Amino acid sequence: MDVLDLARMQFAVTGSLHFLFVVLTLGLAPLVAIMQTLWTFRGDPVHERMTRFWGQIYVINYALGIVTGLVMEFQFGLSWSGLSHYAGDVFGAPLAIETLGAFFLESTFLGLWIFGWHRLPRGLHLACIWIVTLTAYASAFWIMVANSFLQNPAGTVDRGDHLELVDFGALLANPMLTMALPHVVGAALLTGGSVVMGASAYQLFRRTPEQEFFTKSLRLGVVVASVGVVLAVAFGYAQFGPVGEFQPGKFDDKPLAGLGLGFMIMIGSLLQLVVLFFLLPVIRWLPRWRWAHPVVMLMTPLPFLAAILGWLAREAGRQPWLINGRLTVADAMSPGLTSGMVTTSLIAFTAVLGLLAVVDYVLIARVVRRGPAAVALGAGPGPDRERAAALSL
Amino acid sequence: MDILWFGVFAVLLLGYFALEGFDIGLGMLLPVLGRSQEGRDRVVAAMAPFVLAGEVWLVAVAGVLFGVYPRAEGEVLFGLYPLVVSLLVSWIVRDAGLWFRRRLDGRAWRAGWDGAICLGSWGLALSWGTALVALADGMSVTPLGLAGGAVVAAALAFHGWTFVSWRLPGQVTGASRGAGALLASACVAAAPAAVLLAGAAPWLLGHTAPADTLNVLSFMILPLAPLMAGGQVWVWRTFGPRGAADRIPSFF
Repeated sequence: MDVLDLARMQFAVTGSLHFLFVVLTLGLAPLVAIMQTLWTFRGDPVHERMTRFWGQIYVINYALGIVTGLVMEFQFGLSWSGLSHYAGDVFGAPLAIETLGAFFLESTFLGLWIFGWHRLPRGLHLACIWIVTLTAYASAFWIMVANSFLQNPAGTVDRGDHLELVDFGALLANPMLTMALPHVVGAALLTGGSVVMGASAYQLFRRTPEQEFFTKSLRLGVVVASVGVVLAVAFGYAQFGPVGEFQPGKFDDKPLAGLGLGFMIMIGSLLQLVVLFFLLPVIRWLPRWRWAHPVVMLMTPLPFLAAILGWLAREAGRQPWLINGRLTVADAMSPGLTSGMVTTSLIAFTAVLGLLAVVDYVLIARVVRRGPAAVALGAGPGPDRERAAALSL
Repeated sequence: MDILWFGVFAVLLLGYFALEGFDIGLGMLLPVLGRSQEGRDRVVAAMAPFVLAGEVWLVAVAGVLFGVYPRAEGEVLFGLYPLVVSLLVSWIVRDAGLWFRRRLDGRAWRAGWDGAICLGSWGLALSWGTALVALADGMSVTPLGLAGGAVVAAALAFHGWTFVSWRLPGQVTGASRGAGALLASACVAAAPAAVLLAGAAPWLLGHTAPADTLNVLSFMILPLAPLMAGGQVWVWRTFGPRGAADRIPSFF
């Protein structure tokens, strides 16, 4: 592999890892916020326990979203300084807005939410999780604005050696964005719903004492996954219009992009069939149908796989361009970058992040297995709570 | 507008060292300040609620660098490639230690992740010090740079020591420090970056993005500034020393 392949590989590996975790973050955040809203306004303790249990899974997953995201943010400057040199006046803006206007708030208020249990007034604590949810989606919006600019550099003019931003509105109304954003949001909700469904089915299948808890959770998961799969599939097909217009050869002679697209559509259709035409109609009885629970459990990894395949299709189909029609990936690579540099950082990032990703999933699986009684998030003062928390510390 | 955004950049960079510097310093001092597992738990719990609100300042620095100084961004990050990679790996290892240390039972698990926090914090401090000297010295890593690493490490350790003497007075270091001392140690932590920033100001200003780009950024970001500042103030009001005596188990 030459240095260009190595740099692309580094971006693909870290980007895929990042997406695996953020897609679940985006999917779970609204679920946790809805659970806490129900608890705040109805006062039913089961909703408090649901908020803490699913919140704990959300927060553990969040750790890897952060650390992989750090690598993504700095990687543009490390390996692709040609991009900021040619298009930084345009591409830098959505990324700067994402870090300041979205992630800065998300991180601050997530800290307040995690550590604010039993310290903040209930209403303000609820406001924290909603700010975290809204800013997470704002982040997704700005990242998709930046990505869509790479697919179709709308609102810009080529000034010879650099791109100039002439129409910010056109950047936001990019047809490559307007159809893709709801698709990504749908994929995230499908992923979040599927994880909640899968974990609930596991607990119900084992006939643990938490029947009410996981019956409610399973139903909420099915509803959210249904909304997600409809959005993801509908806005998946809707993208063929803009893609045909702006990137007509996107899937021709590009095996990775074509395969990614094909298998993603296959998984999407299968999930649509199962979620919409089997799980949703029988939602009332599903928690008691033990034979169906293994099917629900087995579905859990599929949305993650489809998300990675879809991302591969979108990005591999853009090759050899970094900015479609304007700047090639080869021209965007940092001048002077050597194989030795990229090999070292590729091994370091892959080894560290890969190991942490495995640890993270093992920890999430452990939370699922042990159930709501052993959750540390939101554990309060007092001997009983303390003991319950200590079990999971 | 150029001056305004330079001010934003400066506030974010210096704010990072002031607000995240003590977390790094405490991570470095973790084996010294917490000789037993209970001691380390207490130190980590003292800084835990501030970490997410503190480290995000560097994410914002990188964002502004990309949005406001796009031509400088590639030059700086690529020019310091090995240092940026070691900074990122250290940051990742430190964060993983914080998030994972209490997720399983067992002393070996927690002690292992405490080691990761310490190692990552040292990596962060030394990478920063070396990078600041390299930036001042035309992007070359020299023996002087390693001395810079030692200076930054000492400054951050001092800031961490002062923070925990403010947050848990008399309990960890044996000393008690007031808010004034904490402010002073924050200035010490931010001083090396302030020196570099003063020297690099003309060069950075010369790399500013065009007015159209800055207008977009101002329009989108400045209205959110009160909420950003409000969130930070709320963190400090909620988790300051007065809330320290409670018995709520820490998540980190």
